[in-house]
Amino acid sequence: MRRRRTVASAALIFAAAAACAAIANALACPERRLDWVRSAPGRSPATGLPAAPPRVPAALPAEGPAARTAAQFLPHPDKAWLPISPVEAHALFLGGGLFLDARRSAEYRAGHIAGARSIPVWEADLDARLLELANQARDPSAPIVAYCSGGDCEDSHMLAERLWGIGLNNVLVYAAGFPDWQRRGWPVRAGIAP
Amino acid sequence: MNAVSRWLNHPWLTVRVQIALGAIFVAAAIPKIVDPPAFAHMIHNYRILPEWSINAAALWMPWVELLAGLALVLGIARRAAASVAGLLLLAFIGAISLNLARENPVQCGCFDVHAAEKSRGERLDEMRWVVARDAALLLLVGQLFAADRGRAKAPEEIL
Repeated sequence: MRRRRTVASAALIFAAAAACAAIANALACPERRLDWVRSAPGRSPATGLPAAPPRVPAALPAEGPAARTAAQFLPHPDKAWLPISPVEAHALFLGGGLFLDARRSAEYRAGHIAGARSIPVWEADLDARLLELANQARDPSAPIVAYCSGGDCEDSHMLAERLWGIGLNNVLVYAAGFPDWQRRGWPVRAGIAP
Repeated sequence: MNAVSRWLNHPWLTVRVQIALGAIFVAAAIPKIVDPPAFAHMIHNYRILPEWSINAAALWMPWVELLAGLALVLGIARRAAASVAGLLLLAFIGAISLNLARENPVQCGCFDVHAAEKSRGERLDEMRWVVARDAALLLLVGQLFAADRGRAKAPEEIL
């Protein structure tokens, strides 16, 4: 009898916790909200369908810095990402490559690579941000640089897998990340604007 | 009953153990409730749960900690709250021990869910300390059960 009452009370704690979590999550701002079920990397965020088939690389730009960087970093449809060195990341920056910041929004606001867009992999609006990126008319084979906090940070790799899942097959991971970029004195910016 | 066990099961001690344990659980729950994505990231680093379940665990587990902690502090459903606290501690010890065995240095995420700059060695040392600390907390849960058995069907127990 006593054991049954204990089990019932424990079940009540678990159930009340689930209810509180649901309410708190529904009321939280997007930055602090989570989807209850995390979609697996390599699946399209919008549809939940398996990864889109690799697209055929578009024609390379004929000339200019963008042409040089695009020629240097060819698409790799069989791999979600390839690592790049800080010098290569900087070359892509000078060539006008797209940089994506996978860190939390607050870290992005505190400072990011100039021109980088914020796509935090641990926040609830990740799928919406990916969808927005996927819907933009841009060459899917153009190089994209993903970065996070360096060290053992894996957020940029996770972001690269998500991007690969929506058919962007030229994602390059700058593993040394923002601390390295900042240390080298390369352009950074603070605030919500890229 | 000898003097030591009488002292260990004394209501004066039991109330203090119960409040201390409850307060620790409440303090541990609050940072996780405030920033679930950061806690989800910590759970991901443990590499134990399947990817799809990480967010649900990050949302739900801190509230279980908070409610069990509050129940202990307020003396409501003490036996159930102590059982839940014991289960959580066993899960934490198991998760950290598994990663110690794998030599995967993870940040505990127990009271702070924001990543700290630490070397691999520092993290592994911290994990050993966390296992010892959680084992000590488990002893406090054991004290509550022992005292509860001694005064089974006590009138002040609410549930």
